[in-house]
Formats: sequence, structure tokens, C-alpha cells
Amino acid sequence: MISGFGALILAVLLLLLIIVWVRAASTRREFPFTGDGLRPSDDKNLNACPPEFVSRIFGDDDIEFISRLKSSQLEKLFRQERNAVALVWVQQTSSAVRQIMRQHLETSRQSEDLEFATEASIFLQYAQLRFICAFLFALIDLVGTQRLRSLAIYTVNLTERIGETQRAFQLAAQTREISSARSS
Amino acid sequence: MSTNLQRVPVQEAYDDLLHRTLSRISSDLGRLIYLASTRDYNSGNYHHEGLADRFSEEVARKALEDAHRGFFYRVSGQSLEDLAEELEIYLRSSREDAGTFLRTWHKLEPYRIAIPTDVDPTVERLFLCNVRLALAILRLRQEPNPLRQ
Repeated sequence: MISGFGALILAVLLLLLIIVWVRAASTRREFPFTGDGLRPSDDKNLNACPPEFVSRIFGDDDIEFISRLKSSQLEKLFRQERNAVALVWVQQTSSAVRQIMRQHLETSRQSEDLEFATEASIFLQYAQLRFICAFLFALIDLVGTQRLRSLAIYTVNLTERIGETQRAFQLAAQTREISSARSS
Repeated sequence: MSTNLQRVPVQEAYDDLLHRTLSRISSDLGRLIYLASTRDYNSGNYHHEGLADRFSEEVARKALEDAHRGFFYRVSGQSLEDLAEELEIYLRSSREDAGTFLRTWHKLEPYRIAIPTDVDPTVERLFLCNVRLALAILRLRQEPNPLRQ
């Protein structure tokens, strides 16, 4: 038997899931990516968006300027446009993170001596990023980009960190492979 | 090695383009639109007669492509206030009637062709969003009533 509070939490979670799904569908329609969120044969899209642009998207400067113009319609247009850009960024980040994880899994499969600490660290960062992306997807339209600035900056930093961890892991695996080939 | 050897003339061609041609244009948005206009719509290749004569077709193409991408990122990273200012400068330099210009840009969205190929998808979207907003700001300044509360 589910208590009233439990039912409420379930309903909120379901609502969040529906919002994420609807947002994802509408963003895909507007900005046609392929199935995994990437344009075909476009390696540049595997990278995360440069951080200075993320600061601009989630920053206060532009909305403060718009507010000074005292036009409610312009403010509405600004929020619609900025939210749409932010949703594209979330989708791009999510795709980049998935791609990093795919590369990591490929490297791991070929590696003979996996370190538990590295694997756990990458997996936790990955899980955290996927959760944050889903959370951002659901919240951007509800609370606006400015209130999510800190979380967006945190996401940028964490994406950079998981990318660096993967690159270091890949480099170590290649070095081990070369030295084992030389010794045999 | 060959890439390093090629970079030098590309950099020279880039500097030449910057000093001889782009410095005569009064805004970064104007420079961006000019650079986009040097790209062939069908092949996507860039061409500049004078630059190709001074360097080579290939070097000129690469310099134009680099410059186009550089100015695109620069304009996309501008604040809305700065972009609205740039758009106003560009509008004045076009010598077109402001109302006609704003209506045409709003309807035909010619700024879409200013986007280079292979740019970051979020930045691409930010650029489009910002130009649309800058247009709305200029329309508001032109005819204060429609967009005001």
C-alpha cells in the first residue's frame, strides 16, 4: 500500500519524466540530430560547448539589459529563445558524455589491467552527469536559465573532468600496449 | 611538417585579409556577413580574387574559412546589448530604409547564411537566437508600441 506522500513523490517523478520526454522530443524536432543525439560524421559535435558560451547562455547580463527595455513581450521572447538554446546545450552535453563513456567502454574492453578506483570514478561522474542533464532538461522551462547557472557551470567542469579522465585512461592503455609489444 | 609550412602563408593571408579588407568594415557583424558572402553557396568553398592572387587559391580559401569561423564565434559570444548595437551599425551602413531592413531580416532570416559549416551546435543556436532578439530590440526602438506592454 503506497502512502499519500509516496504517491505524491511518484506523481512528481512521473511528471518530471514526462517533461523530460516532451522537451527531448521537441528539441529533436527543432534541431534534428541522429538517434544518439549527434549529427552524422561530425566529430566536432562530440565536444562539449566552449564554457564562455555556457556562461553567456545562463548568465544575467542579457536579461538585465532586456529588463531595462521594459517590454514584457521582449522578455517573453528572450526567455523562450534562451531556454531553447539551453535545451540544445543540455542535449549536446548529454551526447558528448555518452560518447566519452562509449569510448571508455571500448578502451576498457581492450585493457587487461583495469583499476577499480578509475572505473568507479568514471562511472560515478557519468551517472552524475546523466542525472544532472535530465534534471536540467526538466527544469530549464520551469525556473529559467539564470537560476540554473551554477549547475550549468558545474556540469561544464564535470564534463571536462570526465573527458580528461578518459583521455588519461586511454593514453595509459596505449602506453601499456606499446611497452608490452616491445617486450614480447 | 607540411602543415606547419602551410600555416605560415595562411596566417599571412589572414593578416592581409584583416588589414586590407576587414578593417574597412565598421562592425564585426558586417565582417561576418562579408566573409559569409565569399563562400560559394553550392560548393561551400571560399573565394577572394585579390587574396588568391597574392597568395594562392588554397591558402586564400583557408584564410577566409578561418576568418569566417573566428568572426562567427566572436559575434556569437557578444552580449545582446553589443549585438543590437552592431546590428544598428550594419543597418545604417546598408543605407536601406530601417523598417524595410528589419521586416526583410525578420521574414527571410538572411543571417542564417552567416553560419560557417561545422560549428558548435549550441553556439549556432545561440547566434540565431541573439540575432532574432537583436532584431526585436531594434523593432522596439523603431516602433515602441507593438512590443511594449
